[in-house]
Amino acid sequence: MDNGFSIIGKPTAMVDAAYKTTGSGKYTDDLSLPGMLVGKILHSPYPHAHIKSIDTTRAEKLEGVVAVVIGKDAPNPYGILPVGHDEHALALDKVRYVGDHVACVVAVDDATADKALELIDVEYEVLPAYFDPEESMKAETHLIHDNKTHNIEKDYHHVFGDPEKGFAEADHVAEARFIANEVTHAAMEPHSTLASFELDPHTGKMGRLTVWSSTQVPYYLQHKLSLVLEMPMSQIRVIKPLVGGGFGGKSEVIPLEIIAAVAARKANAPVKITYTREEVFWAHRGRPRTIIDLKTGVRNDGRITSVKARVVQDGGAYCSYGVVTILYSGALLGALYDIPNIQYDGYRVLTNKPACGAMRGHGTVNVRFAFETQLDELAAEIDMDPAEIRQRNLLTPPCVTVNGLRVQSYGLPECIARTVERSGWKQRKGKLAKGRGLGIACSHYVSGAANSIIRSDMPHSTVNIKIDRDGGVVVYTGASEIGQGSDTMTAQIAAEALGCSLARVRVIAADTDLTPIDIGSYSSRVTFMAGNATLRAAEEVKKRIAAAAAKKMNCAADDLLFRDDVVSKRGSAPHAMKNNPGEEEETTQAGATVSGRVEGQILRGSLQQKRKDEGPKDWMTFEEAVVAAIDFHGALSGTGSYAPPQEARGGKHKGAGVGPSPAYSYAAQVAEVSVDEETGEVTVHKVWAAHDCGRALNPVSVEGQIIGSVWMGMGQALTEEMVWKDGMLMNPGLLEYRSPSSVESPEVEPIIVESIDPEGPFGAKECSEGSLAATIPAIANAIYDAVGVRLHECPFTPERVLAALRAKKNAKPLNLTEGIDPTAPVRFREHGGSLWFRGKGPQRHALDPSRREGPEPAGGAD
Amino acid sequence: MSLPQFKFLRPRTVDEAVGDLAKHAAKVRILAGGTDLIPSMQQKLFEPEYVLDLRRIPGLRGIRSQANAGVEIGAATPLSEIERSSFLQGHYSVLSQAAATVASPLLRNMGTVGGNICLDTRCLWYNQSLTWRKGCGFCIKKDGDLCHVAPGGTKCWAVFSGDTPAALLCLEAEVEIVGPEGVRRMPLAQFYTGIGDNYRKLQPNELLTRVFLPTSSADYHGVYRKLRVRGSIDYPLAGVAVVMKRSNGHVVDARLAITAVNPAPMLVKAASGILAGKMVDDSLAEVVGDLAARTAKPLTTSALTPEYRREMIRVFTKRAVLAAASN
Repeated sequence: MDNGFSIIGKPTAMVDAAYKTTGSGKYTDDLSLPGMLVGKILHSPYPHAHIKSIDTTRAEKLEGVVAVVIGKDAPNPYGILPVGHDEHALALDKVRYVGDHVACVVAVDDATADKALELIDVEYEVLPAYFDPEESMKAETHLIHDNKTHNIEKDYHHVFGDPEKGFAEADHVAEARFIANEVTHAAMEPHSTLASFELDPHTGKMGRLTVWSSTQVPYYLQHKLSLVLEMPMSQIRVIKPLVGGGFGGKSEVIPLEIIAAVAARKANAPVKITYTREEVFWAHRGRPRTIIDLKTGVRNDGRITSVKARVVQDGGAYCSYGVVTILYSGALLGALYDIPNIQYDGYRVLTNKPACGAMRGHGTVNVRFAFETQLDELAAEIDMDPAEIRQRNLLTPPCVTVNGLRVQSYGLPECIARTVERSGWKQRKGKLAKGRGLGIACSHYVSGAANSIIRSDMPHSTVNIKIDRDGGVVVYTGASEIGQGSDTMTAQIAAEALGCSLARVRVIAADTDLTPIDIGSYSSRVTFMAGNATLRAAEEVKKRIAAAAAKKMNCAADDLLFRDDVVSKRGSAPHAMKNNPGEEEETTQAGATVSGRVEGQILRGSLQQKRKDEGPKDWMTFEEAVVAAIDFHGALSGTGSYAPPQEARGGKHKGAGVGPSPAYSYAAQVAEVSVDEETGEVTVHKVWAAHDCGRALNPVSVEGQIIGSVWMGMGQALTEEMVWKDGMLMNPGLLEYRSPSSVESPEVEPIIVESIDPEGPFGAKECSEGSLAATIPAIANAIYDAVGVRLHECPFTPERVLAALRAKKNAKPLNLTEGIDPTAPVRFREHGGSLWFRGKGPQRHALDPSRREGPEPAGGAD
Repeated sequence: MSLPQFKFLRPRTVDEAVGDLAKHAAKVRILAGGTDLIPSMQQKLFEPEYVLDLRRIPGLRGIRSQANAGVEIGAATPLSEIERSSFLQGHYSVLSQAAATVASPLLRNMGTVGGNICLDTRCLWYNQSLTWRKGCGFCIKKDGDLCHVAPGGTKCWAVFSGDTPAALLCLEAEVEIVGPEGVRRMPLAQFYTGIGDNYRKLQPNELLTRVFLPTSSADYHGVYRKLRVRGSIDYPLAGVAVVMKRSNGHVVDARLAITAVNPAPMLVKAASGILAGKMVDDSLAEVVGDLAARTAKPLTTSALTPEYRREMIRVFTKRAVLAAASN
C-alpha cells in the first residue's frame, strides 16, 4: 500500500537500537569524569519527625570522605509545579516519610560513603504520622505541611450539566466504592545523575555547571537547578544521555539530581549519585492509591445520563504532580464517551509516604478502571452486550465535551469494532468453558497537555534543523528519548518532509546548550508537539532549498517534489539517479558509514560538476539541491515550533487547564482470562488491543507501545502493589514488588487504528499511554464473565479473587486482614508493629556487632 | 548498596575448606552459588570477615548413582543440573520438579542444591536493607530483640523458603556434614530446628558436602506444587511435595512434605498412614489436604495473607495427591 509516503508508515528500527543492543550505549551511570567522587544519601528512618540536629563531624573525619552535604547547603524550595514548591533537596527541619533525604556523603568510593553514612548523627523528634488518606483528611495538628489544612494538598469540585437531573432520568443507577492500590514505574534504569562544575575563565572561580541525568525533562531540571543553586539558567547545561525507561518516574526533578549538583559544588569535584533500587522506590512519583466512589446512571437504551465521582488520592508527602493528577482524574471522565452530566469531587491528600506523581496514563487509569467496571455492571443490569453499551455512548466529533474538551479525530468506534471482530466476541462471549471469560473496556489519553504546567506562552516544542553541504541533515531537538522512540520519530518526520533518506538524518537531542527548548517527554506530547515542530522546521528549510533548486531548474518552487533523495519537477521521472528505484531505502545508521559517505561524496561531487555543466534539468539530487541552496542563501537552517491552538485549551472553570489536549488517542481492548475457582489465580490468555494513534508513523514502534501498555496494565491488574505497614514500604525491590515476568505475559494482538488527526504531524497522535487504562477493567470484566464476581479493588491478587468467590458462594469467608498469631496482642495485629510507635528508636540493638566495635576511628585500618 | 569488605577464601579440597572453617569459624560465610548470600551481604544481613567459596572444589559437584546405594549429589551441584538430569527425572522426579521451580533459569544456573537446603530463612521484616531495618527498629533475627510477625513472642518465625527440601524430605534424603570432628551423616528431616533465627543444625565450622537419596525412595510417582504470584523468580509462598507408590490402584507407600509455611520444611507424617492401603479419591485427598493445612503455620513473613497461604496448602496438597495418584 503506497499512501504517498516514503519514510513514515514503514516499520523502522530505532535509530539508537545498535547502541542498546550491543551495550555500547552510555547511560548516566556509565559515565565518569577525571577526579569524580560518589555521593551516597542518608535517608530518614521515620515517617514524620523534626530534625533537631545533624552532626556530620564524625563522618567528615573518615578518610576518603570529601564533603557531607545537608539541607542548609541548598535551602531553596522547589517542586515540579509552580503551586507546589514544597520540596528541598535535603530535609531542612523536618522529614516526612521513611526514605526522605537527610544528608549526602561525598567520598572516593561507595564503601567509604556507605561507612560514613553510619557516622552521621541525626537527632529526631518523632511526630504522629498519617498513612491513610481518609484519616489524614481529619488531621488538625502535626500537619505534614503547615500551610495545608487537614493535610489536603488540593481539592476540586466540578459540576457540568445537571447531574441530579441526569440521575433522575436514569432507569438504572449503580453506585460503588473502588480502590486501586499504589503502583510504581519500576523502570529498568535506576535514577542517576553526574554533576560537574568548570572554572570560570575570567574569575577562576567555580563557573558553569554541567549535569548529566536520567531525566525525561532536561529543561525543567535546568530551571529547578537554577532556582535552588541560585545560578542563571544560561550557566547550567543539562545533558540527557540514554535513558533506560521513565514511565513518568523521571518526568520531574528528583532529589538526587539537585543533591548531586549541590554536592559537586561543596566538594569542588564532579559527583555522581546513582540510586539503589530501594531508593528508586522511595523517590517513587508513581500512581497513588486511589479511592473512587462512583455513581453512574443509564437509561434502558444504554445511554449514560449522569456520572458522579468522588476521588481521594493518597498523594504521599509532597505535592509533586499531585494537583495535575487529581484534575486529570476528573477531566478525563470526559472525551471518551458522550456524557451529558458530570459531577466530580477530587481530593489530593498528603500522607507520610513517598510522593506520588505522574505515571503512564497519568490520572486517568484508576478512575477508568472504576468507570469501565461499573459500565459493565450496568450493561448486565439492562441486559445489554458490554460492547454495545459502549457503542451507544459514542461522541459525535468534532465536538466540545460538557467539561470543555475539544475532540476532533475519534477512532473509538473503529477500535471497538475491530477488537470485537478479532476476538470473536459475538460468537464466543458467554460461551467459553467454565472459568474462562472475555471482557471489554475502552480508554483514551491526551496527546500532550494543551496548557503547559509552567503557565507560559512560550512554544511547547522548538526544533532547529541544519543541513550540511553534503546533504547531511542535523536535527536539534529538546525532546527526550527515553526509550519510547522520540529520536526515531524526529528523524522520520524530518526525512519524510525533506524527501531525503533516513540515514542522512542525525538527531541531536536533549542538551540544553545545543538544543532549543522542549518541555519534556511526558503526557505523551512528543510525537504531537515535537513532531509538529520538526515538521515545521523541515518545511522551512525545504522552502529555502526549493527556492534555490527552482531557480536552477527554471520552474516555480511549488512545482518541485522532494522524495527519495531527489528533487524533481512534478510530472518528470523522479528516480533517475537511483539504480533500482523499487529497492528499499537505506535506512540504517550502519548504512551511512564514514567511508561510504566520503566516497559517495567524491563520486557525487564529480557527477555534480558534470551535471552543472549540462545546464538546467528536470531533477536534482538532494545534495545538488542543498549545495545550490547553500550557495544561494549562505547557510541552510530552519526553525519550527509548536504551541497548542487556543481552541484546544479548555474551559474557564477553576482547574480547567488540565485535561485539554490538541488531540486524544482512543483504545478498546478485549481480554480473555481464566480463573481457578479454588485458588483465585487469574491467567490472562490473550488481549486484543486496538489503539487509535491518528497515523502510525512507525508501526512497529506503535505496536511495541500497545503491547507494553497492556503488559504494564496487566501488572497493575494482577500482581503489582506497593504494600505499606505504618509508612514502611514492605516491598522496595523487584523481588517483592512483582511486575509480571515473561511467563505471565499473554499474547497481545495489537490493532492499529488510524483516524488521521487534522492537527497531528502527518495526522499522528499519541500511542504510549492511552492503551494502559483499558487493560485493568478489561481483565476485571473478563473475570466477571468467567466466574461471576465483581472485583472493586486492584490488583486482583489470588486472595482477593478467592475472597470474592467465597462471598458469592456464601462459603466460609476468607479473612484478608492481618493474621494471625492468636497470641499476639490485638493492637499489633491492627498495624504491622513498627517499633517507633513504642518509643523504640532506630538505634541498633545494644548487642549488635556494629555497635560493639564502636565508631570507626578516622582513617580506617585498611 | 555495596558489598561489605571481606577476604575471599578459595580452597581446592574439602579438607582445605574445613581447615579454613576451623580457623575462622564464627567470622566466615560459605558461598556456593551466591544467589542467597550476595544480596543478603549487600543488605548488611551478613558482614563476615571471610567468604569461603566452594566453587573450586571439584568433588562437590555432580550427580553419581551407585549400585544399590542410591544416588549421591554433590552439594555444589547447580539446580539447573538437577532439573535437567534425566536420571533424576526418571527415578526421583519430585526432586527435578521442585528444582525446576526455583527462582528463574539464570538463578538456577548459579544456585546449588546445598545452598537451597541451607537457604537462610526469610521474612519481610528481615530481608531488607540496613536503612530499612533501622526504620522498623530491627527484629529478633538480626540486630533487634522483637518480632514484628508475632509480636510479644521471643521466637523467630522467619520462614524457610526453599523448594527442593520438601522434595528431599519425601525422598528420605540424608545429608553429609564434614567438620573438624570428621564426617557425619544425618537424615535431612533432622537437619532443621524449626526456629527461624537458628534454623539448621550446622555448626559454623561445618560444611554440608553431599546429599544422598536412598534406593528405597526411587521410582515413586512424585509431584511438587508451588504457590507464587509470578510464574518465575518468586520464592515459594507455600510448597507441597508428594511421592506415592501404588499397586493395583491402592497406595503402597506415600509421603507428603510442605515448605514455605513454617520456619522449617516439614514432613506431614500422619499423611503416610492415612493414605497407605487406600484408593485415592477426592474425599481422601481432601482429608490429607486438611491435615497438611493444620501442619502449616504461615505468618505475615511473606506476601499474601497467612490465611490464604494456609488455604492454598490445603488446595495444593489435595491436587498434588490426586496428581500423584493419576496415570
